[in-house]
Amino acid sequence: MNYLPKSLATGFLLAIFASSSVMAATHPVTGETLADDQTFTYSLLDEFTSVDPQIVEDVSGSDIVRDLFEGLMNQDADGNLVPGVATGYTTNDAKDVYTFTLRDNAMWSDGNPVTAHDFVYAWRRLADPATASPYSWFAEIMALENVGAVMSGDASPETLGVTALDNHTLEVRLTSSLPYFAAMTTHSSTFPTPEWRVRTFGNDWTKPGNIVSNGAYVLTEHIPNERSVRERNSMYWNDDATILEKVVALVINDENVDFTRYLANELDKGTVPSGQFIRLKQDYPDEATSFPRLCNYYMTFNLSDSGPEIFKDVRVRQALAYALDRSVITEKILQAGQINAFTFTPGATAGFEVPPVAFGQMSQADREAKAQELLTDAGYGPGNPLSFEYIYNTSEGHKKIAIAAQQMWKEVLGAEVTLANQEWKTFLKTRGSQDFELARGAWCGDYNEASTFLDLLTTPSGYNDGKFSNAEVDSLMLDARTMDDASANYTRVEEILANEMPVIPVYHYAGVFMLKTNVKGWPYNNVEQNWYSRNLYKVAK
Amino acid sequence: MINYIIKRIGIAIPTLLILIAVSFYLMHAAPGGPFTSERPLPAQVLANIEAKYGLDQPIWRQMINYLWGVITEFDFGPSYKYHDRTVNEIIGHGFPITLKYGFWSFIVAVGVGIPLGAIAAIRKNTWIDYLAVGVSIGAQVLPNFVMAPLLIIVFTLWLDWLPGGGWNGGAWQYLVMPVIALSTSYMASIARITRSSMLEVLNTNYIRTARSKGLPTKVIFFRHVLKPSLLPVISYLGPAFVGLITGSVLIDIYFSTGGMGYFFVNAAFNRDYSVMMGITIVVGSLTILFSLIADLLYAWIDPKIRY
Repeated sequence: MNYLPKSLATGFLLAIFASSSVMAATHPVTGETLADDQTFTYSLLDEFTSVDPQIVEDVSGSDIVRDLFEGLMNQDADGNLVPGVATGYTTNDAKDVYTFTLRDNAMWSDGNPVTAHDFVYAWRRLADPATASPYSWFAEIMALENVGAVMSGDASPETLGVTALDNHTLEVRLTSSLPYFAAMTTHSSTFPTPEWRVRTFGNDWTKPGNIVSNGAYVLTEHIPNERSVRERNSMYWNDDATILEKVVALVINDENVDFTRYLANELDKGTVPSGQFIRLKQDYPDEATSFPRLCNYYMTFNLSDSGPEIFKDVRVRQALAYALDRSVITEKILQAGQINAFTFTPGATAGFEVPPVAFGQMSQADREAKAQELLTDAGYGPGNPLSFEYIYNTSEGHKKIAIAAQQMWKEVLGAEVTLANQEWKTFLKTRGSQDFELARGAWCGDYNEASTFLDLLTTPSGYNDGKFSNAEVDSLMLDARTMDDASANYTRVEEILANEMPVIPVYHYAGVFMLKTNVKGWPYNNVEQNWYSRNLYKVAK
Repeated sequence: MINYIIKRIGIAIPTLLILIAVSFYLMHAAPGGPFTSERPLPAQVLANIEAKYGLDQPIWRQMINYLWGVITEFDFGPSYKYHDRTVNEIIGHGFPITLKYGFWSFIVAVGVGIPLGAIAAIRKNTWIDYLAVGVSIGAQVLPNFVMAPLLIIVFTLWLDWLPGGGWNGGAWQYLVMPVIALSTSYMASIARITRSSMLEVLNTNYIRTARSKGLPTKVIFFRHVLKPSLLPVISYLGPAFVGLITGSVLIDIYFSTGGMGYFFVNAAFNRDYSVMMGITIVVGSLTILFSLIADLLYAWIDPKIRY
């Protein structure tokens, strides 16, 4: 290379320059004219926790990690599984051994090749108690061989069920059959980590200048609570297809300021201040966007021994669920495209058809009549009103919903409901120790499949704060794990939930944001909203 | 004087230790911990994390370990929330920012507040007085959480003169709005205190005597009125200065400055014990230091006070 004739080298450089300047002008696939400035600026409501793939635990941090690092598999704009560092995989009939083939042209930003050993190192690091990763439980749900013993320190990380057969072949051994294992490798905690950098810099390896990454971008600047910048990684194997040169994430803690700065063109993507979606959709129809999210909002009864006697009666639980007019909450209070919920699992979940549960089919007037009937049967009435306390974590939004619910229960059922709010961590402690009567709850799916929701209401679940326990639900969910198509089981579980009503489903979340019309390539159809900056581009206005 | 300073520093150390012990205890008394979340961590994961950070030990031992690290190595520990940073880094980053906008806010508050109050007092019951009082009361009742978004709407959205937020190393364009928003209410208080105290001094017998002796107004004002009028202002400035340079969470939230105030408040919500303790120690030490400085200044201005 050093002896390359000068003229040849010059010609070579000119050719690259010419081709790249042509590419910058129009989009290679759609032919749209591209903007000269390919910098994408968006806002985060809060500083992210880390950009270390095995440590990061928040959504905004994962979004950045997904740009900086690339795992075995990626998602496309519709959320489908597409090759990442791996070009493909094979699995045995039992679906408990997976063999991934890695592409040979994948490189780290310092020019080192990305090998199967980098994944082995990263996965061991995830499970290693010395790393103390808050996301190490992900290694556990991946069912990697020996993961429990490694996490408890009883076995060395080397015994984990992941092996580099050679530089480009990765073998994974699982303790149980997981048909959807490959999809789990799109999760940021499974992304490779450069061992040589971690060893050299310790905790400081993620700082700009120290960090080496294998994704489409590298972190070039990070000022805590202010901004972080990632720039195009020329060593990325598919760098030719990348269009955005630079991505800037600004931390803006206030949603109204965020929106003002969006209007002032300081941001390409900004926040919709709560309760303003309808107005903004009218004023900026092409910019204000609402999409269904894999999250639910519910109220959980305390069904444990420490819970109140009144809720042990299923009729009372049903009456409260029926009397709640969900449209008032979604259409009058939240106003951002949220969906009334009569099932625990959101309808947007892949492979989940919302079952026609009986109370969801009735009109609100019928539901209210039925609620009154149920409560009268249960022995409550004007002389003996139902009374209990509803707790929620401090927030304007939850407060509005709580007040609306209180009013509905008062009007329809004559119930005396007291409201109490608690600071977030105090609330979690109260709810987690079953020190409540009725409590607010919400859950966002870890992956796009109904079990991520329904497992929560099984007896062994650590997140089942209402302590609902139903043997049929438990066995249906256990069977579902190894079925190729478990949708019938999920439908049956939802029917049981609609009858037993351990929780009151209120609504399914919608995500909202503002996006400038010249930004293209946003994956609106990816319900998990896993976006990759390398798929975005800005067109000339 | 020297003896007095030594005595005050002697009191400061146990005060700081008590502050640390009480804060440490209160912090741990709040329900939940740094790793409590909507999805509770599996027991093994939590145990690994607690072991790593020493949170599995009794509170008194955690406190001693923590203090030992602070005293011997000036190490405030790792952040439990922002895993890529240590508390030293967080304070080292946030404090200079807060110090910078706090210092300029102080200069503006004093530089505008004292003249405004003085003019109002000298021109009592004229339109200048009414205007000055009007401005300072207006500034006082307009809290900075109202003012900050308004400033951004006017200067960023409408006029397009200033960036809507960020810090950018403290470039002046990024400093203007935080300083206005932060200094206004302090400026108003300083103006009102100056005015009332100056009016009092202007009505004293020795000023009347000076006037009757035919001293020029300028000489009366600068030699006899200004210094005694500033006494109550100075006792206000000590705590105000500490308040300004130790961070305003609202300024950090609205202007994305990245200062210490937001880290402090956020640390409390996150139960990020080490960040909370680190900032408590810094703020506590500064409070003690500046109340000492204010007392010394007081003695310098008021000859009646001698330590």
